[in-house]
Amino acid sequence: MKPANRIMKRVLRDGTAAIAAMIIGGASLGYAQESVSVRATLLTGGVPVDDPSAAVWSSAPPATFPMSPQVHWQNRIQEVTVKDISVRALHDGTQVAVLVEYSDPTQDPDDAAALEFMVGDKKAHFAHGQPMLQVEGGPVNIWFWKNKTGKAIDMSAKGFGTLKPQEHQDVTAKGVYSNGTWKVVFSRKLLTGHADEDVQITAGQFMSISFAVWDGRKDAVGELVEKGSQKAVSSWWYFRADAPPDYSGYMYAAIAAALGLGFQFVLIRKLKKGQ
Amino acid sequence: MGALGKPIILMVAMYAFLKFGLPNIPGSAPLPSSLIFLYLLLTAGGIFMFETVSGESKDAFWGPIQRFLTGENIGGLQALRYGVFILFPLLVGWQTYGSTAVSDLPPTESRTIHPAPPGEYTGLSNPVPKTPDNIMQGKGFYAAYCSPCHGGNFDGKGPAARGFIPAPANFADPTTIAMLQESYLFWRIKKGGVGLPIEGAPWKSAMPRWEVELPDEWIWKIILGEYDGAHQSPRTWE
Repeated sequence: MKPANRIMKRVLRDGTAAIAAMIIGGASLGYAQESVSVRATLLTGGVPVDDPSAAVWSSAPPATFPMSPQVHWQNRIQEVTVKDISVRALHDGTQVAVLVEYSDPTQDPDDAAALEFMVGDKKAHFAHGQPMLQVEGGPVNIWFWKNKTGKAIDMSAKGFGTLKPQEHQDVTAKGVYSNGTWKVVFSRKLLTGHADEDVQITAGQFMSISFAVWDGRKDAVGELVEKGSQKAVSSWWYFRADAPPDYSGYMYAAIAAALGLGFQFVLIRKLKKGQ
Repeated sequence: MGALGKPIILMVAMYAFLKFGLPNIPGSAPLPSSLIFLYLLLTAGGIFMFETVSGESKDAFWGPIQRFLTGENIGGLQALRYGVFILFPLLVGWQTYGSTAVSDLPPTESRTIHPAPPGEYTGLSNPVPKTPDNIMQGKGFYAAYCSPCHGGNFDGKGPAARGFIPAPANFADPTTIAMLQESYLFWRIKKGGVGLPIEGAPWKSAMPRWEVELPDEWIWKIILGEYDGAHQSPRTWE
């Protein structure tokens, strides 16, 4: 009995350690990944809709995404200035603000940036919702900012050549340039009354977002290098506005643990009674 | 206690095999945790049936468990017994929390990398003869239209490739054009990302729809150039 006891002890101890190690290993795997989504942090009080430098931005975790030259359709471009952008977002349950940051060596009047969202439930191609041959796609909603005008245009597109400003302009934007870095904040209400052309942002839900940036520099003969479809683009990534904190998970866990405890008591009492 | 040792070792070994062993077998992939759980459940069921098949083995199996749970004459294992009693409700609570908590991870995406082509693009043969001249022309077109993303070395590492998800295909990789027919490449080049079926997630691919810009003959030549440049040959059915 004694040696068996000892073996048993060792097996149980090593087994527990191994299982714990696997659980910890598995859990950490889930978090070790590059940015795939922008998380809009929930805050109380107003969001800094026209202040890209507000201190409260530091409470939103930055997500970094790689940018590529637009090569999908004509006119293409092979090289672009902006290689990465950093994105933060905040919301207060009514208003959402998205801060885009990227380095650009020079400030030019034609510097511009844009956010793109899928509208509704249908998937849309990241290039302006270009029609897909085997899948029925949806439209995209584009929030476009240009340094020269200093404001945003709320636009819709469903395919090339269909990009146009909307009748209802719901988006504001403000850009601040300093030390070789653009900080542009886009803002809008989470929900607008126009679900067929505007993205509707529901807290807690993942939606698709992509980015575009134009460096408004000119070449030796005074022509814009990046303009129109010649721009830096990103693939689709995810965007989610944080839902209000939900503590019900802890309550369910406590109830389950209490039930587990109760089950143990009953079981052992029955066993001791010789059932 | 001896009767319990083997089942426990078996369960741990089974878990280790499913979690760490199986994914390393060539051609295999990591199992989802739900499947591992199911397999472990089946293993446990099998052990249970085996151990309770006769009255004698049933006693040998249950006896130690009962003694452990009631704490009769288990000596040094007493501390472990209390540990189990504390851990069990915590584990139940933790599992419940995990299954009710809202995930912070975005929806999982499953993309079929080489989805089936439409019928009219199966079994076409390259009408352009495989001559050194045509291969050279194809490589020229490749350099002009394809290499910015797919790379001058046919490795998917062109200067414009960075940032595109899915990444441009690496033709030198034996799991890309080497396992496809020329007909398939013709379809993918002609129709581009937007020509993919839904399982190919066509809304994400940056591959241009080259039929708009290039004549078919050029596309066939590009295919010759790609295979030659990447040192691969098209898949055949014999």
